[in-house]
Amino acid sequence: MTVAALTLDGLGVAFAGFKAVDGVSIIIEEGELRVVLGANGAGKTTLMDLISGKTRNTSGRVYLYDTDITHWQEHQIARAGIGRKFQIPSVFRELSVRRNLEVASFETPGVFSNLSLRQTAASKRRVEEALELTGLGPQADRLAGGLSHGQTQWLELGMLITQNPKILLLDEPTAGMTQAETRKTTEILNALRGKHTIIVVEHDMAFVREVARRITVMHLGQVLAEGDIKTIEKDERVKQAYLGSKGIM
Amino acid sequence: MQATKLRLNLAVYVIFIACILLAPMFLEEFALNRLAKFLVFGMLGVAIALSWGYAGILNLGQGLFFGLGAYMLGMSLKLASPTSMAQGSDTPVPDFMLWNAEPGSKTDLCCINGGSWLWIPFQNHWFGILMGMVLPTLVAFGLGMVVFRKRIAGVFVSVITLACVLLVRLLIVDAQPLTNGWNGLTDLGILTIGETEFDPYSVTTYYLVAISLSVALILGRLLTETRSGMILQAIRDDYNRARYLGFEVSSFQVFFFCASALIAGYAGMLYVIVAEFASPAFMELSFSITMVVWAAVGGRGSLIGACIGALLINVIETSVSETAALVEAWKVIIGLIFVLVVLFMPQGLAGLASSVTDRVLERFSGRAARLRQADSQQQPAE
Repeated sequence: MTVAALTLDGLGVAFAGFKAVDGVSIIIEEGELRVVLGANGAGKTTLMDLISGKTRNTSGRVYLYDTDITHWQEHQIARAGIGRKFQIPSVFRELSVRRNLEVASFETPGVFSNLSLRQTAASKRRVEEALELTGLGPQADRLAGGLSHGQTQWLELGMLITQNPKILLLDEPTAGMTQAETRKTTEILNALRGKHTIIVVEHDMAFVREVARRITVMHLGQVLAEGDIKTIEKDERVKQAYLGSKGIM
Repeated sequence: MQATKLRLNLAVYVIFIACILLAPMFLEEFALNRLAKFLVFGMLGVAIALSWGYAGILNLGQGLFFGLGAYMLGMSLKLASPTSMAQGSDTPVPDFMLWNAEPGSKTDLCCINGGSWLWIPFQNHWFGILMGMVLPTLVAFGLGMVVFRKRIAGVFVSVITLACVLLVRLLIVDAQPLTNGWNGLTDLGILTIGETEFDPYSVTTYYLVAISLSVALILGRLLTETRSGMILQAIRDDYNRARYLGFEVSSFQVFFFCASALIAGYAGMLYVIVAEFASPAFMELSFSITMVVWAAVGGRGSLIGACIGALLINVIETSVSETAALVEAWKVIIGLIFVLVVLFMPQGLAGLASSVTDRVLERFSGRAARLRQADSQQQPAE
């Protein structure tokens, strides 16, 4: 019997009457890597915003395991174990790569609990692990602002990994990457598979084929279809709405 | 290389602090008093660097905290002045209150005018000293809670702080019977703690200022090295990223905004001791902007850089003002310096020093690496 890591129950939000996400119910199992597909404006990023607390939902609930995290503040949701990577890679540009990871690895949210010159052994160890996983060791002392686009994406991923999140939300992790960079990202994600529950929003079909087991297709703010890659490819509604007649290329 | 840089940075602090502590051996009292004033400005540079450079909060109203600190101690010193005892009352009453009093009102702090009772606790100079630190911090806390909880950022914070300093200045000028309005608090007594008199021209007073600045520099630098200091810099670079990593962004901003205000308020008190007056001019916009220029020139990313920037500009300004032709032109010169620094040296003198150090260190480590390589290539031949 598998455990549900993230449960979305009729989640929805309306912006001035426009329902960007409308009654989405998804159950994501522990250790799963779920890909969310959908055309532009299907509500994928908004869905991520709702889970991570950036946007307040107007209906439905979000559960992390058995905890109802609906309407929690962003930093509380992050501390509860949901790490989010943004579509536009965001790192701390004026700090070194190592410092970026160090900051991410600090364990408490407030200012007073962090008034110390020491870093815990666990925090140091996680920084080293993240450097290894992302292969950014040689760049550790460089400013994050000087990294290439791909490296910046990996750094942001590494920052999330230092937090050992239960759930990783990745918004288009391969956007703007070269093929070689995409391949490396695939490797990183495959290495994380099973350790974390991962939700990926992605357009790059080569990448999706490489990593996806289960896919959720969204259309106009609703779940259109859900299943493994073959089921989705065959689904008539999905073809009409998004893939065209040629299937997942 | 990082470690080498940190050691060099430490060396700069040690040398600077040694210099200001040794200065009394070389300067006579007038020059010492002048230097003490500059050191107070250096402390303001530290406060600006902490909020602007480290927290990314460009406060255009730092003069508010400086002014509040100055007025709090100024009130105590005004009551300690001989003139305040010479107004025909058993308890001290500031002379200007009599000038502004309604005919027939009682010559006592309790009721000479509507708000004069506010002055009563300031008869104890410890109260003035305490308030000089507490009030600026409290005001910063209130302001910060509103601004940062509401997630206001960037130029809007600057505009709000700017409005605040002008508002308070207006209030102080307007409350003439209570604050002596435009004239400010003058003819102050000398701060006496125990047996020690802090005469503005004495070496004791100079050391009070120099040691205070040293402590502010060291504590400030330590603060930026804590985990909170690192997180603060992360917030400066991308507050959203920091928030989604699980940090309470506003708590860090409020804390360091308060720390900056505390340093500025403390500097205000020192200035009153050294200059013997408190004036609403401290809260004029031009003064707050000048502080920002000091930090920009010295390097807002470095506490000691901003401090040295403040010293440097004031030393230049003083020597320039001795040449009559340049006195009027000074404002133009300082404006020009600011524009040039922003255009060509965005990290100021400290940034320049840092990149030069980087280049030198790289050359050294490059040469060391080449030597090692040459060694290892020779070895097989032996």
